[in-house]
Amino acid sequence: MNFMGNTKPLLLVHKQMQKQTLNAPVNLMLTPQFYTLKREEVPVQYAYQAKRIAPSLFDGLIEEQSHIRYFVSKEEDGWLFIAYDVVQIQDFLEQKGIALENIGKVFFAEQIATTMHSPVKIGEKEALITHDNTVMIVPQSALEEGMSFKKIDDMLTPAKGVVLEGGKGSLLETKDAYILASIFAVFAVMFFVEGARYSGDDNAQQEQIALVLEDHPSLQSSYARKSIAKKYKAIDSKERKKREVINTLSHMIFKGVTLTTFSLNDTKFQAQFSCQDATVVKKLEDLAKKEKFNTTKVANGNAINIGGIL
Amino acid sequence: MNWKAYKNELIVGLAILLMLVGFLYKQQQISGQTDASAQAGNALHDIKEVIALQQVWGDKKISKKVDKLKTLVSPSKVKWQKKSKKVTATFSTLSAKELNKVVSKILNIAVVIQKLEIKKVGPSYTMEFKCKW
Repeated sequence: MNFMGNTKPLLLVHKQMQKQTLNAPVNLMLTPQFYTLKREEVPVQYAYQAKRIAPSLFDGLIEEQSHIRYFVSKEEDGWLFIAYDVVQIQDFLEQKGIALENIGKVFFAEQIATTMHSPVKIGEKEALITHDNTVMIVPQSALEEGMSFKKIDDMLTPAKGVVLEGGKGSLLETKDAYILASIFAVFAVMFFVEGARYSGDDNAQQEQIALVLEDHPSLQSSYARKSIAKKYKAIDSKERKKREVINTLSHMIFKGVTLTTFSLNDTKFQAQFSCQDATVVKKLEDLAKKEKFNTTKVANGNAINIGGIL
Repeated sequence: MNWKAYKNELIVGLAILLMLVGFLYKQQQISGQTDASAQAGNALHDIKEVIALQQVWGDKKISKKVDKLKTLVSPSKVKWQKKSKKVTATFSTLSAKELNKVVSKILNIAVVIQKLEIKKVGPSYTMEFKCKW
């Protein structure tokens, strides 16, 4: 009996059934035509343990295939094991116009062995009956004459059913899907947490800036900073150049060389050196050219003018 | 499309999508922080540079340092004219050693050299110097 509030209509699925036209989801009850069952007393306590040993119980009874699924249910004196071919069932249901999205839960006729008190008609010639606490299909002619048939109704819906999955189309089983989804979700959470940690500002540098600006309040404004930098950078580069030129020229004064005149202003510089002979003039000329200065030899004498633009 | 048949794949797909969104979010935050860090680094560098430039070229002791130039040689060799933040000086009959000393000192003071003229007159030198700060 179903006390779980499952209100979907229950549809009996058998090989002789007519093609269906469904407008709403239904629960299905499979007749023994679609499953193989076994009752065994096995020393296990929980359903997951029973499910684990289920394949070994059907060795030799059914072909080992990847789309065989097992249903287990605890009974008073043992366990009920049902093996079913999910692909075969899905194929059959599709042939009968039952789309997979219209299927709620799937139950097995064996589950109502104790609650089904009257035979249920299957097509024109067969019937579903309970015999020796097992649901089976028998010819209607084998039943006592005048026996009344009952229809499967929603009241017979068992509490525990299965969902048809992992057969056609689907590559993953629910359990695997949830495991994988959980792993990916954990990674997602990790990435979000790490991302959130990175989203904070770089406080160390901001604090350093604040400290520096505290000592130099006039530089608080970026406009002021740019203006000051522009002013001093121009002076700095020009004055460094002037000093470099003077230093370079001072290194050109060596034995045999005398500075005669030197002039420097904001735009250019000019120096005249008198040398003791032509060799020194040549050496000085080479040094000046190396520094990319302009050189002019003074006529009638060992002197050289070196100049340039600043 | 029978989506119910692919419900499990859909769940895993959504989880992967969520993970990818998380990964992209993290990468975006890292990149954002790197940019912010670079910007802060540049701002700090700029501020320090401005401070350094200001300390060198805006030094309030420049005037005193310039005044020391005239003490490097005998007062009789110097003609000194100072007006506000400008100095015009003429050094005459300087020996080579004195010339070196004065020029070296000028080079080490953060002033704008407007004019520097040196002439050898006989064994000594004459130097004209004009600067501002």
